[in-house]
Amino acid sequence: MTPRNIFPQILTFIFYLLLQIFFVRQLVFLNHAFCFVYVATVILLPFDISRVQLVFLGFIAGMFIDIFYNTIGANAAAMTFIAYIRTPILALLVPQRGYDERQVLSLKSMGLSWFVSYVMILTFVHHFILFSLEASDFGLILPILVKVIASTIFTTLVIVIIQFFRKD
Amino acid sequence: MYQLIQFISRKRAFILFALLEVLSLWFFYSVNNYPSAVMFNTTNYYAAKALDISNSIVEYSNLRKVNDDLSDENKHLYEIVEKLQAQQSPVSQSGFNYKADSAVAARFKFTVAKVTNLSVAQFNNYITIDKGTADGLSPGMGVISSTGVVGKIKSCSEHYSRIISILHSEYTVSAKVKSNNEIGSVKWDGKNPSIVEMTDVSRYKNVRVKDTIMTSDFNYVFPSNIVIGYVSKVGLKPDQTFHDIKVKLATDFSTLSYVYVINNKLEKEQKALESTDSEVKK
Repeated sequence: MTPRNIFPQILTFIFYLLLQIFFVRQLVFLNHAFCFVYVATVILLPFDISRVQLVFLGFIAGMFIDIFYNTIGANAAAMTFIAYIRTPILALLVPQRGYDERQVLSLKSMGLSWFVSYVMILTFVHHFILFSLEASDFGLILPILVKVIASTIFTTLVIVIIQFFRKD
Repeated sequence: MYQLIQFISRKRAFILFALLEVLSLWFFYSVNNYPSAVMFNTTNYYAAKALDISNSIVEYSNLRKVNDDLSDENKHLYEIVEKLQAQQSPVSQSGFNYKADSAVAARFKFTVAKVTNLSVAQFNNYITIDKGTADGLSPGMGVISSTGVVGKIKSCSEHYSRIISILHSEYTVSAKVKSNNEIGSVKWDGKNPSIVEMTDVSRYKNVRVKDTIMTSDFNYVFPSNIVIGYVSKVGLKPDQTFHDIKVKLATDFSTLSYVYVINNKLEKEQKALESTDSEVKK
């Protein structure tokens, strides 16, 4: 990260955390679909960020959300995990002409299908870890899966909608 | 040594990942067992203040519902007053001339508190309220709302308390069926946040749909006869000896705004007495 763009990055990071706590926390669709829009804090960090920074920021964001959800450790574990696997997932999804170092990770620059599949994979992994930890009972595997899938769709939708309000 | 440093620096992302992951899981599985660890949950002063602010914005939209609840409760209280006045005739209808000692009759003290944070659809649900040790609350006290049972205090900070609601996998309430006083226990199965399960009721007892389920008399934290919910379905457990009863909760947790915390002033005395009793039997 260059000093030029570090400030907007920090603002985006804080924006998603506050959005989660003050607004999205109340959003529950039919008691099954939850919105964890704050996963965007890690998912939307620029391409050239180092893996160490990623993992650390993921842990911080998860811990912060845990305090407000009374689930100490659960969000942190899920966020640390998706922060770590973000690099291999990006390598897996690499477009034919490769990534441009200075490219911005946004809906507009990457295209809808790439963006949605990228966000969906990481969101799914995050939600799966989070809900399984909370339930901690494999008898509940079916309700867990229903919640995970419904929430993944909900979260992805909200992240994509927010992208339409971005300028770059 | 040099190789070790080189190894660590090459694998530093993985090492950091592993450390933080283990730390998170350790938090998750151990901190919940220490109610005194208030720093990392919503009883934390700054977290609770932030939630207060966000709640005060939502609060206005709930006022109509709150008013309805309050007027309902007023009605209910009037009914009780009427009933009590009627009972004060010299000889009560039952024929027994029983009168509770005034200390026992007045053993429950109520504290009104406002809900600042709540969840209904997770697998373990908590509620945060804006009263704490400064207002005389302590862990273990029961919590009810104007419509029915809510839960039990799990931890307190000075000005906030965290409640485990009845929608929590580790929480059981001793309950009875109103029509025939059959005793059982009520627990949530983690699926639907408006339905709980009642167990330990023998299949040979008569339980019907729409019967009222209330707190039983064998309860330290709750006064007896507080509504928990209404029977919505009666089935049979796989072991064929107990009813499988689904109870629709009387309280709508998603719009909960005000709750009453119950302090049983004689709980210690009762428990102390009962524990000495069991020692004598041995």
